[in-house]
Formats: sequence, C-alpha cells, structure tokens
Amino acid sequence: MTEQANLHRAAGLRRRVWPLAAGVAVCALSTARAAVDPGPAAAPRTDFVVPAAGTYQLQEIQRTSDAELLDVAGRARHLAEFTHGKVTLLTFFYTSCTDPLGCPFGYVTLSQLRARVVADATLASAVRFVNVSLDPLEDTPAVIRRYAARFTPDPRFEWSFLTAASIPQLLPVLDNFGQDVSVETDPRGRPTRVLHHMLKVFLIDTRGVVREIYSLAYLQPDVMLNDIRTLVMSPPLAHTR
Amino acid sequence: MRNRFRLSMLLTAACLTNGLLALPAIADETCNSPYISNLIKGQEDYIHVWTLGVEHLGDGSDKLVTIDVNPKSKAYGKVINSLSVGGRGEAHHMGFTDDRRYLWAGNLDDSKIFVFDVGSNPAKPTLVRTITDLPAKTGFIGPHTFYALPGRLVIGMLSNSRDKGGVTGLAVYNNKGEFVAKYAMPTTAIGGVQGDGYGYDVAINPARNAMLTSSFAGWENYMRNLGDLVKDPAAMKHFGNTLVMWNLKTLQPTQIFNVPGAPLEIRWALAPGQDWAITATALTSKLWLVKQSAGQWQAKEVGTIGDPSKVPLPVDISITADGKGLWVNTFMDGITHYFDLSDPEHPRQTYQLHTGAQVNMVSQSWDGKRLYITSSLLSQWDKTGQDNEQFLRAFNWNGHALTPAFSVDFTQEKLGRPHHMKFSAKSTQQVALADTGPVRR
Repeated sequence: MTEQANLHRAAGLRRRVWPLAAGVAVCALSTARAAVDPGPAAAPRTDFVVPAAGTYQLQEIQRTSDAELLDVAGRARHLAEFTHGKVTLLTFFYTSCTDPLGCPFGYVTLSQLRARVVADATLASAVRFVNVSLDPLEDTPAVIRRYAARFTPDPRFEWSFLTAASIPQLLPVLDNFGQDVSVETDPRGRPTRVLHHMLKVFLIDTRGVVREIYSLAYLQPDVMLNDIRTLVMSPPLAHTR
Repeated sequence: MRNRFRLSMLLTAACLTNGLLALPAIADETCNSPYISNLIKGQEDYIHVWTLGVEHLGDGSDKLVTIDVNPKSKAYGKVINSLSVGGRGEAHHMGFTDDRRYLWAGNLDDSKIFVFDVGSNPAKPTLVRTITDLPAKTGFIGPHTFYALPGRLVIGMLSNSRDKGGVTGLAVYNNKGEFVAKYAMPTTAIGGVQGDGYGYDVAINPARNAMLTSSFAGWENYMRNLGDLVKDPAAMKHFGNTLVMWNLKTLQPTQIFNVPGAPLEIRWALAPGQDWAITATALTSKLWLVKQSAGQWQAKEVGTIGDPSKVPLPVDISITADGKGLWVNTFMDGITHYFDLSDPEHPRQTYQLHTGAQVNMVSQSWDGKRLYITSSLLSQWDKTGQDNEQFLRAFNWNGHALTPAFSVDFTQEKLGRPHHMKFSAKSTQQVALADTGPVRR
C-alpha cells in the first residue's frame, strides 16, 4: 500500500463521511498551547508489507473495566456488554468534533474497516465497533441516536454508540482506557465545547482485554484488519497478569 | 586537566588493545516517540532533569529537577522544583507516555522505575508510582530507554539479573505500570550475522513497521569504576557491536548489522519520506546510517566524529526536525559538534564548541534555536577533581554559532549529577474534563 494510495482512499472516504459532521460548531484538537503541536499533520503511511493475520501474537495490554453508560435509546447499559463476546474496536468521540485528523479521521478508518469486515463472512458476526462519547453534557442519547443514524446502519454489522449520564460517570471509563481529555476555555476561563484528546482506537478481544491501541501515527487500516483477523482466528490466551 | 589527560590515556590504551568501551545517553524534543502527542514546537517552558544523587551533597538522593527555561519568565534559568525519590539507584533516562502526561524515569543500578505526573502541573511534578518488579518479571535489569507506544512503553534494557552481563532484552509495560511482555535480544545469527544479545536504545518508524535497537554493555561494566574497567582486557570485550532491525508488529528481529564499537543513540529522520536512521558508535567514534536499499535495510559507516585515535567518546546525539543537522557530544574532550546532514550518506562537521570539561546529553528544541547540555554520564564514569563539572548549560543557536544563555551548577545547588532532560510546556486555556462540572448546557 503506497502513501499516495492510502491518502487517496482516505480522502475519498472522508468525502463520504465528512457530511456527517456538518452543522457542528467548533474544531477539536486545535491546540490552545501555541507552543504545542497536537500530533502528526498527515494520515499515517503504511509503506511495508503488512504481516499476515495469525502469524504474530498481539500483546495483552490491559483489562477493560465495566461501567454504566446509556445507549441511543437512553437505556442504562453495562459497558462490559460491548467489550466481551466479540472482537471489538472501541473509540471515543464527540459529535461536535470536526478536526479532520481527530474524530472524523476515526470515522473514515472505521467506515472503511466496516466495509471490509462485512465483506468477510467469518468476521461480520464476530466483530463489533463501539463509539463512546467524550461529551455527555452535549451528547445526550437523542443526539448520539441522530448522529448514529447518519452512519447508514448495516443490519449485518453491530456498531453501537454510547454516552454517559454525566461527566462523573464517564471519568472512570476514560481513566480505565487511558484516554486523555481536556476542555478548552475561553478568555474568561469558561469551558468551551472544544475537547482536546488524542484519537485512539482500542482493539479488544472477546474477554475484554485490550490487545492493540491505534493512535493517529498507527491508524493503518490494513494492519488493523489483520489484527482483527488474528484475534478472530486465535484461541483466547490465558491472562497471566 | 590532569585527570582528563590521565583518563584519556587509559581509554586510548584500552581501546587500542581491546577495541572496546562505551557510554549511555538520549534526549530532546526531536527524539521523542512518534506516538507521543503534543510535541512542543515553540518555546518550551520547563526542562525536567533526571539527576543522580551524590553522597554528602544536599539530600544525597536521586531527584527530578525542574528548571524554568522560558526567557519571558522571572524564574528563567532557575531551579524551580526538586523532587527527591529517596536513595541512589543510578538515575539515568526518561521517556513520556504517549499522552505526555507522565514521565517514566529509570535507574540503572536498582532497576526501579519512577513515574512522575508532569501533565497536571509541569512546574511541580509529582511522583505517582514506583515500579519495582522489572527484574522479577523479565530477568532483565538496567532499564535504559523508555519509548512510548500507544497505551504502553517499550523499555530498552541493558543487562540481566543472572550474570549482570550485557545479554538482555526489551520489556513492555502498560501506562498503568503493569507488565505486558518481554522480548530477548537476538543471540543467534540472522542472515549470517551473529547477534550479541546486547541492548541499549530503541527507535521506531511506524510507516516502515520498523523498530531499530542498539547495544551497549551490562551492569558489570557500566557500574564499574571506569579507571578499573579500562585496565581489564576481559571486561573490555563485553560491549555491544550490533544494531538489530525488528518487525514492529510481530516484534521479531529481522536483521542484525555488525556495527563495531557500541552503537548508542538512534535517531530516525523525521521529515516525511526520509526513512533513514543514524547512530554514533562510542568506541570507534563513527556515524552509521541505516537505510533501505533494494528492499533490504543496510547499515554503513558514513562519517567520523573528532579524532578516533584520541577516543573522544561520542555519547548523545540530537537530530534536527528537518533531518539536515545533527548535534553530537563527545564526553572526553567536552566538545559539542554540529554535522550537516543534508546528504546523510556524507555528513560534514561544520561547527564545534568546547562546552564543558565533560559533556554527555544534548537536547535541542524542535525549532533548533535552543540547545541544552548536561554533564554526567554514569556515576562511576564521570571525571574526578576539577573536571567533574556538573551542570546544565543552555545555548542559543543562530545557525552558525552557539551563544551561552544560562548555566545551572548542579554541585553548587547541591543537586547531584544531571543526566537526561525532557521538555514540558504550560497547559494554558484548558481545564480537566472533571473541572467543567456535570451541568448540562
């Protein structure tokens, strides 16, 4: 996969996904620290032959904890329902995030992956995606329901959107996953709607153990697909920690 | 001066007879892992210095020293915080977690790892965790390089607990401080090149799925008095002579390169498409380039640092953000060198300055305008007498010459031996999510 091909494909997907973010207000991940750069300025390259699925082991990075969240219907749901039983890609988002290399880039990557997962009969029912909102104040169940509906739900594939009832209920989830978030303030020190966070996608096995974490420099769809296949085709490892 | 001459003579003799000797280092904004967010591309506010305690000096303890380095600050050039960890364990190197909130700092002697919170208030870091199970979990000792991966760190080790020699490996811990995995450095041959099992630095190029490691020496050598060490021909043979290329995804070694003389710091060129790395060998005083040719990685000698016959001992290196320049410190003669890397196949030294009686670490700002140098190499290897200067010195670089900006005397300040440096910046116009209140707008 060449860099050019990657970028072209990402750009195409971005055009398809970008309208999902239309109508939102402010840009995320823009830095308030003039001296600080939030990260890479371009999509990651994959200038290598991706190792074949099943030829390597993924590390058992950390366990996921349970928490009570809300689904798009406003029902209380255990996060563990969404991190066990299937191979899961979980990411954090918020509906007003518009930075092209923030949440929207995550959507591009996940949308592309969904198409490839659904096309593989052995994966379609064994894999799910989960998006958890970082902004429970704005992203009510109704808001994330409308947002999720724009993803053209595919009955062949499970893609769930969750939010928290409050910030205190979200914080332990962020702490467990190691997802950093801060809120930009206006000149008077009041919180704005801009959330600073590092885009991360967590690959979780059927036992709820994180087996890979993809941040922007590592969000390589071909690699991610083979990692998913590796977990689906591998017997579960005994957790040793 | 007499001490330096005597040590130089010893080192020269040792290297001539045995061809071996080496030293540690690593630093700066341009050498951070590509997985780290929030690179500081403007003015850094603080430098954190992992400092070895010295008996009968201050509290005698290893400590994280924070210095204000923003010229606009009233405390510019001053020590604003000192956080002792209790005891002396050979403080050495540090590395950020991928979110840059935590700084992991390692000890080469007792193999402890201290995790500091530098995200909440970088002016006043706090110790949040001490990791003590590294030898028990891995069989390796001497945590050297802390290199961020998403949600975890890969730790380049120097030695092992069995014989305290140089055969070692890599350890992986998650950001919570839990052990994840270990990987042995190769001791068999790959592609006809014999692995020596030694370890030192780690550097990753995600776009190439490439992880490169280098090799130094075990506890038996780096914790031994240098004067004694260089007089022991058998011990002087126990230094690394290899680089290893790994498949990053599978974490399997794929190639071994013979690079004589302890290749230490590794820096990948950061400019897009510049998929090469450079390293310096401590004993042989050479620059080596690692680059792909016809689909295979190759390592080749591309330059000389100072006069190798005088054993200048290149230690830390710092590559510019555009990959067109390289700073190199040589410990023995106290010289800071600048190489033009416009053609990485043919580096040219274009500038040098004597920056101290002994110099080890060199860290540059992302924009290349500021350079920071510290003095200490290892507690048992630092010079003695008047040449045992212990400092952090800041310089401004205009592209042609270094101009002194400020200096902190770590002995006068009763702090210890300053080693590794990391930058941080104030977090302005941001609050924690927890501080925004659960009120729906």
